[in-house]
Amino acid sequence: MKINKNIFKSLLLVFLFPLAIGAQNSTEIFRAAGSPHNPKVQISFNRYYTSEGLAALGEKIADAHPNLVKRQSIGKSALGKDIWMLAITNYKKGNADRKPAFYVDGNIHSNEIQGGEICMYTAWYLTENFNNNEYITNMLNDRVFYIVPTINPDARNDFMKEPNTGSSPRSGMIALDDDRDGKFDEDGYDDINGDGSITRMRRKSAHGNYIVDPQDPRKMILIGPDDIVTTQRYEYLGNEGIDNDGDGRINEDTHGYYDPNRDWGWKWQPDYVQRGAYKHPFSLPETRAVADFVLAHPNIAGAQSFHNSGGMILRGPGAQEDLATYNRADIRIYDAIGKKGEKMLPGYRYLTVYKDLYSVFGGELDWFYGSRGIYTFTNEIFTSFAYYKKNGGGRNQTYDFDKELLMGDAFTPWKEFDHPTYGKIEIGGFKKNFGRATPGFMLEEEAHRNMAFTFYHAYHMPNLSIADIAEKKLSGGLKEVTVTIKNDRLMPTHASQDLKYNITRPDYVSISGANVVAGMLVTDDDFNVTEEQKINPAKMRVKNIPGNDVVKVRWIVKGNAKFTITVDSEKGGIVSKRSN
Amino acid sequence: MFYKKQAIALFSGLLFCFTTVQISAQTDYSNYSKFSQRLKTLQSQNVSNSKLETLTTTVGGHKIWSLTLSKGDAKNKPAIAIVSGVDGMHILGPEMALQIAENILKNHADVLEKTTFYIFPNMSPNATENHFSALKHGNNGNAKSTDDDRDGEFNEDPFDDLNNDGLITFMKIEDPTGDYILHKDDNRILVKANKNKGEVGKFKFLTEGIDNDKDGNFNEDGKGGILFNKNFSYKYPYFKPGAGEHPVSEKENRALLDYLYEQWNIFTIVTLGPENNLSTPLKYNAAGAKKRVVSSILKEDAALNKFISDKYNKITGTKDAPVSTGKGGDFFQWSYFHFGKLALSTPGWWVPKVKDADKKSAKNSSINYLNWAKQENISNAFVDWKPINHPDFPNQKVEVGGIPPYKMINPPYNMVADISKKHTDFILELAKIQPSIALQNLTSEAVGNDITRISVDIHNQGLLPTHTEMGKKSRWLRKIKVALKLTKNQQIISGREITLVDSIDGDTSQKFSWLIKGKGNVTIEAGTSHTGIDTATVKLK
Repeated sequence: MKINKNIFKSLLLVFLFPLAIGAQNSTEIFRAAGSPHNPKVQISFNRYYTSEGLAALGEKIADAHPNLVKRQSIGKSALGKDIWMLAITNYKKGNADRKPAFYVDGNIHSNEIQGGEICMYTAWYLTENFNNNEYITNMLNDRVFYIVPTINPDARNDFMKEPNTGSSPRSGMIALDDDRDGKFDEDGYDDINGDGSITRMRRKSAHGNYIVDPQDPRKMILIGPDDIVTTQRYEYLGNEGIDNDGDGRINEDTHGYYDPNRDWGWKWQPDYVQRGAYKHPFSLPETRAVADFVLAHPNIAGAQSFHNSGGMILRGPGAQEDLATYNRADIRIYDAIGKKGEKMLPGYRYLTVYKDLYSVFGGELDWFYGSRGIYTFTNEIFTSFAYYKKNGGGRNQTYDFDKELLMGDAFTPWKEFDHPTYGKIEIGGFKKNFGRATPGFMLEEEAHRNMAFTFYHAYHMPNLSIADIAEKKLSGGLKEVTVTIKNDRLMPTHASQDLKYNITRPDYVSISGANVVAGMLVTDDDFNVTEEQKINPAKMRVKNIPGNDVVKVRWIVKGNAKFTITVDSEKGGIVSKRSN
Repeated sequence: MFYKKQAIALFSGLLFCFTTVQISAQTDYSNYSKFSQRLKTLQSQNVSNSKLETLTTTVGGHKIWSLTLSKGDAKNKPAIAIVSGVDGMHILGPEMALQIAENILKNHADVLEKTTFYIFPNMSPNATENHFSALKHGNNGNAKSTDDDRDGEFNEDPFDDLNNDGLITFMKIEDPTGDYILHKDDNRILVKANKNKGEVGKFKFLTEGIDNDKDGNFNEDGKGGILFNKNFSYKYPYFKPGAGEHPVSEKENRALLDYLYEQWNIFTIVTLGPENNLSTPLKYNAAGAKKRVVSSILKEDAALNKFISDKYNKITGTKDAPVSTGKGGDFFQWSYFHFGKLALSTPGWWVPKVKDADKKSAKNSSINYLNWAKQENISNAFVDWKPINHPDFPNQKVEVGGIPPYKMINPPYNMVADISKKHTDFILELAKIQPSIALQNLTSEAVGNDITRISVDIHNQGLLPTHTEMGKKSRWLRKIKVALKLTKNQQIISGREITLVDSIDGDTSQKFSWLIKGKGNVTIEAGTSHTGIDTATVKLK
């Protein structure tokens, strides 16, 4: 029966395949504002993709846009899956490795799946709009995007393919001994009702604290202290499962458990301080791969990671103890971008992790900023605001939404089963793809808005130009050359954290072709205040080029030869200009 | 009898022949290749009781050795880990670790019945090689290229051997802007001038070298490398020279931790390195112990540390050790604060205090060293100050000299055997008092109606607790598991099939009892990897 079904499916696929590839006939379509109307790569953004699904989509995008995409595996997961990265820029213009870079990843928590689709949407949108949209074209001319749709491919698949709750596994797939009994992952969930989700168990009980809502059998109502109960009482028995190891407890050692977002090497703390930490900073192959990639790419100036849920745009510090790391100058930049995000993402709030969420060590955004000086946000995708586009809908709205807009697809009705320990029980509840994961029909919008937010962030990475080269004749065949270097975006070439610890090297402003007598940094042009650089004055070391500001460098040169000025900044890129 | 004597004589002769090579090889500390050879030889002579593995190969191409000593199944008995070479200047550590291993295998092999030893003799092989090179300097790092002063240039300002003696010592420069003066008790030694006492600085005091990159700093970015003992996660010194870009960034650090995390039977880690909580135990600080990020040894562990420290001082007969509790990023503090194990550390040796006629010893450690070196007739304890021409100080008097590197933290080689023997005795004492779970007072009585009551005491026979207070919090120490193994027709009426016990103190027990319905035998199992597991079978009445 199953074989027949598969054959039928394969035949159907072969038959339909020609329709699915290639662009549609241009006479059949009309462009909706802001979206690629006839993309080379067709992707449905009203469903989710497994790790293999994301990998295949990445490959399609890379194949369709060879001048815009380089696809690379940055490492292997614990179970040996490739962690795919798409490096997207206009490879025909400039040196791709030296453009200011924006890093994006998703899905560090395996059940927080939207990041994968948002990353894929971003890659698709950039490539399909290049040369169709000026903003995107400029973005890919000047910047490079490093997009890693899933940095937890093992457990992404587990979430989708194995029975889970909406909140599990969250961890990766390395087995751990959660109850310290010497056995690993020996008592996980059990999908007793076979619906692919871990829902809840309830039992009729004379002493239970719940009744079934007489108006909606899906719902349970908590009995109040003064309520007179005239109907059957129930008790909750927790998540679906049995006592697999006979120790008198249920589901106490499920797959994992560690938290990949407690594994990062900034103010890392062990498990007894910070629950979820694994062995040591970057002890997980996935986070290690990202860290090694970031360390090898000092051009990364901005970063974004995608989680779910709650509708939040989060910045660090993660831990209260790390408050001093974030200083005022950088918070101003975070605030400007974060507040713009609140406008672009209705229902989302711009928050600080340690005070608005929880105080936590070893998170990704803290390592990016604290250790590398990269402005980084984490977005918690999806919020209950989305159900009816208003706040304060309460818990009941999820039942309404399931019925009215999802046609009941999100809930497994309660049904009776025999449990080896509890006897006759009932199992039912919301499925794992509801509550945290964005429902299908809203996914494209959520991806688009979050992508637009990352574009705003990426736009404000440093953008350097040589605004002016002024020459003044001095006596004795000498000439004073004053160069003005401009950064017309929000971010400096060095975040204040970077400046404080010399994380990335100074920016070099060099003159070539001239006979340099002296070189100096102009700190006040009007009063002629300068700081001389005694050693190697042809290559001036400039600590920082601030955002929306200029830096002036001056040389005294001998003779009248033409010269070239080059600005070389790790996070700001390279620009050059010849003298007139 | 005669025959036996003859055999012994013959054997001794043979041994003499065999060991002449070894004796000649052991008149001094061994470089990497000789040390590796000695390890291999030791292992090959004790095949049944030892195993030699490579944890990783460093960026410099050196192997990180792991030597396991055990009889039978190494993983199923309590284990002591010994880690040395944590500081590349401390060449004594690897030598001690090797000699302790030799002592155990040759003279105390019986201890291997009940205790396993995991020995990691040299975690800084690239750094220790420096001691054996033509130019000795205070290099402590591995072979990774580092930008120590974080200026964007790599290795642009290394040491320079200005007096060509093969040693990087110091420079004193006569300069009114300098902060240093000559010590009044020994004018070879420089100390900082104390303005409050009316002292005026007369010298600059720098390490030997040239300001190669003309940035005003001397020798601030040489070969560098990353220091094993500065690359761990507890109080990691972010952005400091030699610390690396993040904690546990280096292959050797990572390989060791990943290995230790797999050895669930380790109950204590003994570090032979700069930190010392054996001469003087760590002090408990209530405020530090209660913080979320714990910064003090916990109360019960401080008492445990004192108990062990007393034993250490008695067994080794050492005294006057300088206090050293770890500078952050170090392995010793990691082994306690982040791994939760019983963490012990000692440098093994320090310069003994030399008392003068008035029974006073010099407060200045360098002067005390020079006094001791004189007493011990150590000839090369000081490089006499000699003037040189220095390009950075063209019009000033510059002299090069001072105590050579390595001298103050490593004893002459002829002292090492005795130090190692005493420390072997201490390690054996740890094995003697190790946590050890046993089933005691096992009884069974008929209750009637086919029901039997089983009672037993789960006893920790060792003097050490099964878990440190820190270890109780750590997921990396297993709980003590008490489990019944029943057959088909047996049923528990009262009691649990599996119970996990958080910890049991030294020489303390916990009572258990069950009511079992049925016939036949029931097996009881108690313990965990680092306490040993005891089993017993009871016949139901």
